[in-house]
Amino acid sequence: MIETITPDVCGSRKRQAWALLFFALGALVASACVGALLGLAGSRVAAWALPVAALLALVGAAREGGLARVPLPQSRRQVPEPWRFKLPLPAWAAGYGAGLGLGFLTYQPVATFWVACAAAVALGRPLAGAVCFAAYGAGRSLLLLLPLRRGSEATAIVEALSGRRGGVLRVNAVALLACAALLAAPSAAAEPIPLGPGSHFDPSAIGPAFAYTQRNLGVSSVIVLPSAGGALQYPDAESPSLDGELLAYQYAAGIRIVRWATGEEVGRVDGVTSKPALDWPWLAYRRALPDRTLLELRDLTTGEVRRLGSVPVGADLGRPSIAAGRVAWHAAGSRGSRILLYQIGSGNKQVVMATTIALLSNPSLSSTRILWIKQRQGISTAFVRKLRRTRARVLARVSSQRTFYWTTDLYGLTAYVTRWTVVGGAARILRIEL
Amino acid sequence: MTRRSFLGRLGATVLGAVGGGAVAAAVAPEEAEAFHFCGHIFTTDSCPSPYRLPRINRAGYPLRPRDGRPIDNLGRLVNGSGYPINEAGARLIGPDGRPLPKGPRTRICQDWVAERFHIDARIQGSWYRCCNNQIRKLVDCCSRSRRRINGDAALRGYCYAPRNVFCVMYYDTGIPC
Repeated sequence: MIETITPDVCGSRKRQAWALLFFALGALVASACVGALLGLAGSRVAAWALPVAALLALVGAAREGGLARVPLPQSRRQVPEPWRFKLPLPAWAAGYGAGLGLGFLTYQPVATFWVACAAAVALGRPLAGAVCFAAYGAGRSLLLLLPLRRGSEATAIVEALSGRRGGVLRVNAVALLACAALLAAPSAAAEPIPLGPGSHFDPSAIGPAFAYTQRNLGVSSVIVLPSAGGALQYPDAESPSLDGELLAYQYAAGIRIVRWATGEEVGRVDGVTSKPALDWPWLAYRRALPDRTLLELRDLTTGEVRRLGSVPVGADLGRPSIAAGRVAWHAAGSRGSRILLYQIGSGNKQVVMATTIALLSNPSLSSTRILWIKQRQGISTAFVRKLRRTRARVLARVSSQRTFYWTTDLYGLTAYVTRWTVVGGAARILRIEL
Repeated sequence: MTRRSFLGRLGATVLGAVGGGAVAAAVAPEEAEAFHFCGHIFTTDSCPSPYRLPRINRAGYPLRPRDGRPIDNLGRLVNGSGYPINEAGARLIGPDGRPLPKGPRTRICQDWVAERFHIDARIQGSWYRCCNNQIRKLVDCCSRSRRRINGDAALRGYCYAPRNVFCVMYYDTGIPC
């Protein structure tokens, strides 16, 4: 094929340039489509595909390093020569590009392409898959474009590459090792944050600080860790929510709002209230009545109170999250569970997701994303998705009848998920980069 | 030891010798009885349920296979009010020191199958076998789907036309046999 796109075959240098352009377009579009489709397929299996892809990358590296003999799936077809006699130049050039850009229709001398396929599935992100695979199409095109610049023949470049096969294999082995390390890295990123003794849960993060509830020997306190260093402790408190320099937390008599650096009180909500979420001047919280539990939203500057939700005693109204003019929370009972979203500006309330079989709980909001926990059949999964999209991504998953995910927080591109074990009751906060 | 449990243990021993302990654990008689579950030679697969074996109560809600205690959809033991409890019957406590709220507890066929497979499913036919010295009622979860849970063509079984068997469950009656 490489001898085909020449001035002689195409008819002139101008037609050769057009053929190269259509070839590159075909290769780029085809390879991007492959990446997007693999990413789409992987969006359903992303959690377990990561270690599999990492393992394949290691096997590939061993193969290219000469440590193992592993056969590759191969198709040794060549591009159909009759096309260039029967079809117009744009069609056959683009067709040749697409054929090579797809990757699996032609010969693969190294394992890297197949590992890239596995990695795209593991990534589970169609757009990222498309962009990465487009680079493969670009590489295919580059092989035809290089001779134009150097004034040499494409066949000579291919033969030169063949002559350096050992070097090519070594480069691929190194690249595959790096790939394996990167694929294995996300699981390491989901490790617990070391926060000292006791249980840690109810994470709340902003730029200059991170807060959580620490429970040790049956006593709860709120800990604020400023990014500048040090730690501030609010004893007999729990369920912190940070907003800039302000901190809302639950204490025996209700909810307090303070400046976390100084402890100066800014406001309070008395009564049987709990689980505050602060985005000044709005404070969302749960209020317990004898027969119901309410979710209220209070404007701390005017005192206006809106009732966002209500469930009877026995059902659960979850820890709310508030960001960018929205409030999210969960409502769960024995008949099912729902994640709800309220727009403060418009007053619209919508059910983001609902199920009769799983427990959806503890959503968190950022300005663009929503994170939540889904539990069923001994599997606890943290999902995240963009607010304007419908497709969710698996952030973390644990399969156990004894270990569950619990409260969450989302700040920018960092997610925080509490993982706790029923036996022993220890809870740890995981930090996961999106 | 019954002949079935003997065969189960024999199979586990052979598989254990060939494939290691993980395989042997997978066919332990308590968790996965030989040939699907007692009274049902493996053809149509189990309905999805908190545990691998789809044990239900009379109303179709999930029970823990090994002892028949009620569980919620997460697989946690629950008390009569639906609150999660531990083995001793005490309310489960969350990391904040408070009792955990209720989780969903819904019917395996009508709710689980309907939501997971987007089909209209209901309990129809059933038949009976003697298992562990008591009468076991084997229950068909029936739907209009032409495919069963295995992915291949569904059979009529004990369902009423036009419904076919989608998956199967069982209910231990406690009546001696």
